[in-house]
Amino acid sequence: MESPSLAASRVDFYGFLDRMRRPAAAGLFRSIKSFLASLSLDAEEDGARVQAFYAAMEAAFREHPLWANATHQEIDHALEGLEKYVMTKLFDRTFAASPEDAAADAEVSERIGLLQRFVRPQHLDIPKVLHNEASWLLAVKELQKINSFKSPRDKLLCVMSCCQVINNLLLNVSMSNDRTPSGADEFLPILIYITIKANPPHLHSNLKFVQLFRRETKLVSEVEYYLTNLISAKMFIVNVDGRSLSMEENEFQMHMETAKLGTQICAASLSSPQGSATSTRGLQKQTDTQGSRFPFMDSETESLTAAELKQLHGLYRQVVTRYASLSKALRKLFIDEDQLLASVDDDSSTDVKMLARDGIG
Amino acid sequence: MGCSSSLPASNAGGIGNINNDNSATDSKNLKLKLVLLGDSGVGKSCIVLRFVRGQFDPTSKVTVGASFLSQVLALEDSTTVKFEIWDTAGQERYAALAPLYYRGAGAAIVVYDITSEESLNKAQYWVKELQKHGSQDMIMALVGNKADLHEKRTVSSQDAQEYADRNNMFFVETSAKTADNINQLFEEIAKRLPRPTPPS
Ligand SMILES: Nc1nc2c(ncn2[C@@H]2O[C@H](COP(=O)(O)OP(=O)(O)OP(=O)(O)O)[C@@H](O)[C@H]2O)c(=O)[nH]1
Ligand SMILES: [Mg+2]
Repeated sequence: MESPSLAASRVDFYGFLDRMRRPAAAGLFRSIKSFLASLSLDAEEDGARVQAFYAAMEAAFREHPLWANATHQEIDHALEGLEKYVMTKLFDRTFAASPEDAAADAEVSERIGLLQRFVRPQHLDIPKVLHNEASWLLAVKELQKINSFKSPRDKLLCVMSCCQVINNLLLNVSMSNDRTPSGADEFLPILIYITIKANPPHLHSNLKFVQLFRRETKLVSEVEYYLTNLISAKMFIVNVDGRSLSMEENEFQMHMETAKLGTQICAASLSSPQGSATSTRGLQKQTDTQGSRFPFMDSETESLTAAELKQLHGLYRQVVTRYASLSKALRKLFIDEDQLLASVDDDSSTDVKMLARDGIG
Repeated sequence: MGCSSSLPASNAGGIGNINNDNSATDSKNLKLKLVLLGDSGVGKSCIVLRFVRGQFDPTSKVTVGASFLSQVLALEDSTTVKFEIWDTAGQERYAALAPLYYRGAGAAIVVYDITSEESLNKAQYWVKELQKHGSQDMIMALVGNKADLHEKRTVSSQDAQEYADRNNMFFVETSAKTADNINQLFEEIAKRLPRPTPPS
C-alpha cells in the first residue's frame, strides 16, 4: 500500500522528468548533468554543494520560460522532482559510502539487536494504557520502510508516517481516557521503543542522508521536530545504560551479556559446524575465567565467617539471577537446557551446536 | 494528568503536510522556534496546551501531536508571531538529548514548579546549559508554574526573580491550571523578539 503523499511524490517526479525531456529544458538538463559529474566524494562537502545547487536551480526555474507564470507550488513540485532525480543519481556515491558510516550503521544495528532481546516498554516507563501492539507494529513497519527509498523526501516521509502513527495512538488514548494529550514525555519513549523494535537498516546513514540532502527549506518546523526526535532516539540507543532503562547497571550488563550469548548461539547454530565449535570454545573460556572470580569454592563451610557468608549470599543471588535470565534466554531459543548443560559437562562443544541447531531448525 | 478537560475540537488532519510551505518571515509576520525545558512534572506540556488551546482558532492548522505545537499570536503593533513550540521530555535519562532540541531555538522557556525547590535547581542547570551551548541571542524566560498551589509554595518568587535578573531572563509565575499569566508569558516573549530591520 502506498501512502497518498508517496503517490503525490511520484506525480511530482514524473512531471519533472516530462519537463526535462522538452527541448526547451535542454540547457537546464545540461546543468544538472554537469553538476552530477562534478561532485567530490565527501558527504559533508557534497551536502553543502547539493544544497547550493538546489538553490541555484530554484532561481533558474523561476526565470525559465518553461515555468513562466508558474505558481509557487508548481516551482516547488519541480524542485521536489529535482531533488529526487539528483539524489537517486547520487545515491550510491553518497549513501553509507564511507567506511565510517558503514561501521556506524553496523554498530547501531548490532546494539539494537541486543536491546531487542530484553528491552520492554516498562524499561522506558511507557504507561500501560499506551501499550498497543497493533499501532506499534504499524509504526515499526513505517519506520522500516526508510531504507526502501532513495530520495531524501521519501525517506523523511517514512519517519513522518511512523511519528504520525504514534501521535494518533496518543491522541486516541487521551480522548478515550479523558487524559491530557501527552507531550514529548510520552512520545519520545515510544519512538525509542519503536526504533528498537524496528532496527531500521542503516539507521545512521539514513538519518545523515536526510539531514544533508533534503532541501534545507523543507527541513523546518514539524518535519524538523520529528526528525530531531528520531535522531535523539538513535543517540539514546547508542548511549543507553542501566540508568536510562530504569535498572541497575549490573543488571543491564547482565542483560547485554545474555543477549550477546543468545546472538552467539543463534549465529553459531546458523554457521558451519566448524565455525560454531570455535565460538562455543570461546564461550567456555569465558565461563572458566569467571569461575576464578568466585571465591570460597574450595573453602570449608565451617571456616566461613559471618561476613564471608554474607558475601557468599550476595554471590549466590547473583548466580541465581544470571542463571534465571540465561535459561529464559535459552528457552526463547528453544534449546533444551539440560542437554546444553550435559554437553558442556562432557566438554564436547560441537554437541551444543548440534542441539542448538536441532532446537532452532 | 489533568491540567485540562477537553481537547481542541478539530485537529484530525494528521501530521502537518511535509510540503508545508515555510512561508517566508517578513517584518510583520515573525516565526519563532521555542523550546521548553524543565524537570519532569513541572507542567511544561500543560503550559503549551493551555496557550494553544486558550486561543484555539479552528482555522489554524493545529496538528495532532501534543509535543510539537504551533500557535500564532497577534500583537498590538499588528505584527504576528508564529510560535513553533518544541516540547522536550523532562526525565533525567533524556537530559543528554536536549542540545538536539534547543539548537537553533530563538527562545527557551525554562520551567520549575513553585512547590519544589529541587525543580528550581534543575531549572538553574538548564539555564547554565543554555548559556553555555545555546545561541547568544536566545530569549530566555524563567517560569515558576503551579502558582495556584501557593499554600504549598517552597520557592519564593523574590529569589526566583533575583536569579532571573542576574541571568538576563524574564521571569513570571504561571498556572497552567487556572491559565494565569500563560498568555502574558508568550506575549512578553513575542515583544522581546528582535524585529527584522526593514530594508533601507
Ligand atoms: N496545580 C497545578 N498542577 C499543574 C499545573 N501545571 C501542570 N500541573 C500538573 O502537573 C503534572 C505534570 O504536568 P505536565 O505538563 O505533564 O509536566 P511536564 O513538565 O510536561 O512533565 P514531563 O513531560 O514529564 O517532562 C500534571 O498532573 C498536571 O496536571 C498547574 O499550573 N497547577
Ligand atoms: Mg511533558
